[in-house]
Amino acid sequence: MLELRDICASPALGGHAQRVLDCVCLHVSPGEHLALVGANGSGKSTLARVCNGALPPDSGGVVVDGDADLSRADLARLVGRVRQDPLSQLVSSVVWDEVAFGPRNLGWASERVEGAVRSALAECGIAHLAERSTSSLSGGEAQRVALAGVLAMRPSYLVLDEALSQLDPGARGEVRDIVRALLSHGVGVLDITHLEEDVLSADRVVALSAGRVCWEGTPRELATSEGVVRLSGLQGGRLRVLGALGWPSLGEGAPWPPSAGKLALMASERGLGRKLSDACLRVQGEPKAASGGARGLRLDGVTVSYGAGEPALAGATLRVEPGRVCLVVGPSGSGKSTLALAAAGLVAPDSGVVSLDGSPVRAGDVGLAFQRPENQLFCATALEDVAFGPLNRGQSREQALAKARDALGLLGVGPELWDRAPLSLSGGERRRVALAGVVAMGQAAFVFDEPTAGLDGPSRSRMRNLVRRLAGRGAAVLVVTHDVGEWLPVATDACLLQGGAVAWSGPARGLLDPATYGHAGLEPPFEARLWEALHG
Amino acid sequence: MGRTLAIGTYLQRRTWLHGVEPGAKALALLLLTVATFGSRGPLGLALVATELVAGVVTCHVSPRTVARAIAPTAVVLAFALLANAFVADGSGDVALVGALGVSTAGAVRGALAVARIVLLVGLVCLVSSTTTAPQLAGGLVRLLAPLGAAGVPVGDVAMVVSLALRLIPETVGEFDRIVLAQRARGVRFDQGGPLRRLGRYASVVIPLTVALFQRSDDLAGAMRDRCYSGRALERVRWGAGSRGLVAVAALTMAACLWLA
Repeated sequence: MLELRDICASPALGGHAQRVLDCVCLHVSPGEHLALVGANGSGKSTLARVCNGALPPDSGGVVVDGDADLSRADLARLVGRVRQDPLSQLVSSVVWDEVAFGPRNLGWASERVEGAVRSALAECGIAHLAERSTSSLSGGEAQRVALAGVLAMRPSYLVLDEALSQLDPGARGEVRDIVRALLSHGVGVLDITHLEEDVLSADRVVALSAGRVCWEGTPRELATSEGVVRLSGLQGGRLRVLGALGWPSLGEGAPWPPSAGKLALMASERGLGRKLSDACLRVQGEPKAASGGARGLRLDGVTVSYGAGEPALAGATLRVEPGRVCLVVGPSGSGKSTLALAAAGLVAPDSGVVSLDGSPVRAGDVGLAFQRPENQLFCATALEDVAFGPLNRGQSREQALAKARDALGLLGVGPELWDRAPLSLSGGERRRVALAGVVAMGQAAFVFDEPTAGLDGPSRSRMRNLVRRLAGRGAAVLVVTHDVGEWLPVATDACLLQGGAVAWSGPARGLLDPATYGHAGLEPPFEARLWEALHG
Repeated sequence: MGRTLAIGTYLQRRTWLHGVEPGAKALALLLLTVATFGSRGPLGLALVATELVAGVVTCHVSPRTVARAIAPTAVVLAFALLANAFVADGSGDVALVGALGVSTAGAVRGALAVARIVLLVGLVCLVSSTTTAPQLAGGLVRLLAPLGAAGVPVGDVAMVVSLALRLIPETVGEFDRIVLAQRARGVRFDQGGPLRRLGRYASVVIPLTVALFQRSDDLAGAMRDRCYSGRALERVRWGAGSRGLVAVAALTMAACLWLA
């Protein structure tokens, strides 16, 4: 058993140490799937670092299978850790060397290293990638290589620190299959996650709040308590449906695990089908008659290619009118990011035209927020950084500062933070400052690329509210996302990409029909399956 | 958009030469280079050429790849051939115009020089088609392993070289991303005088530096997580393929130097 006994930890952050974990006790049994939930900043990642010895605790100890006297290296071998960003944990240039890195460090004989690498690659289904360069891997492939690198050391326990949050649904499924196989072989898994699917399929759930364990129970108990759901920072379609059905009062007869089919059946038996649809499957109304003018963001037959080979985007046509929110969905490598760059005027199309309100789009005309926008902060204070964009657009200093204050207010960044250096802020605050920097430009169109990856429930809500308010102010907004379900209440239009081409586009309502996803070779999300079960 | 780092045109599919220790390949390349340039007559060169052709064929390296690697040197090679073949002092075996003539000995000398260069480019091309830059760097460092006995931290040197190679594409990618992000915020890197442009790059260099420090912190953590302690320079035992290749290369060198 992996046991954490009275762990207190104060990792150094920005030069000063602060108490992040406060007397945390926790255990994971062999073969057990324990989900660890909690809001951003509740200490989950610190706990993951303590588990594998990367961060020695101030007090308390980590015990593995009864052994309390383990060195840092022993802990690192016995407890594997896979992190959120696949690329930040790969240390070699070639996949084979990457997976062999741990076993070689352990001083194993070369035959043993070879055997361990071979079986780890096979377990993760990536034997065919052995000779590939690590910088040429997709996100999903890189995460499986990272997992193989950990598994090659034959750990008894595995800590997944939001390991799935940056992957598309297909890649998530592949990693989940690997984890399931490990569980059946007796590896204990501590799964730190914001994804309701992983929490609801766990054996047990522990919730962390402000560095303390605040709740512990089964997924079923978590789902029955609105208070615990709020505390855990979890959000998702299944939990919303359970809430709408008045789940606590459903008693023992309630469907578990909460699959779309079972939930829909129960709702119709109790005459709650309509209520469920209204509460969980509401999308924006039918589009108003198209204005016919050239207003809004338009892509007409846009083709973009990088060097030789297939174009990344092939003849994409898309139109987002002012005040509307269009989702762009597709598997990895389908051209979503290229479409975002083209729409923002950052890559010149080989053919076709990108226009905003009738004029060709130049860089800076469309606000663009990348996956981790906080990486672009560089000014001495948050306020100056947010004013940087408006100043570039030729506005006076006063105007730019006024725009910056307005944008920071919209993002909920209080005046007490405006004069702080961006690097001294917490991760969540930095991201909001960076987004304010995008919003402050005050453009007529915005593009958000995976804006909610790695965020907890409340931060996701804030993100959706921001998009809603920008659209409310008359902006045309494109949102590139893997998580269709959470954006359905905000979206008015949608477009599915496959192989660089638009495979389907239409009003967002179409995303409720599972058949739509077949056009782009995607699995329908929970919401679409629920809709089909209710109306199909 | 991914940039891969490989010298020449690395072949993703696996051939027998992929399985040979990079250090053995580097050593064999060195021995065959000595053989090529040390060979006195065409017999030795023919031997090396036969081995090169055998390598190219069994490793399925497209002859076009080799041709493309030789192309940039074609002008120099042609010049070397002509400069050796033509004589202007009347000593030519075949007189052309006036004192200008063609010297047979010169032509042979020129042809041999050209053949040597072509062979060398072909050999390098064969190695680079079956070895990535990091593998080659690792192999070379491992050849230095005996220095470890003299207290040189060869394991750390190998890790530093490998991390540097790993971080180059990463840094380029991060730089591109930040440039795009700042262009989206209205920064025009293509306008104004050189000083103004340089100033604008502060908006890229500062976040890039922060990101790289963060990245190297992450990498250090990832290495610690996988038990890196600096001591482990993996002991690679050369397999039959590696030993065979070096033996053939050594015999070829001996043959070229003494027999031909």
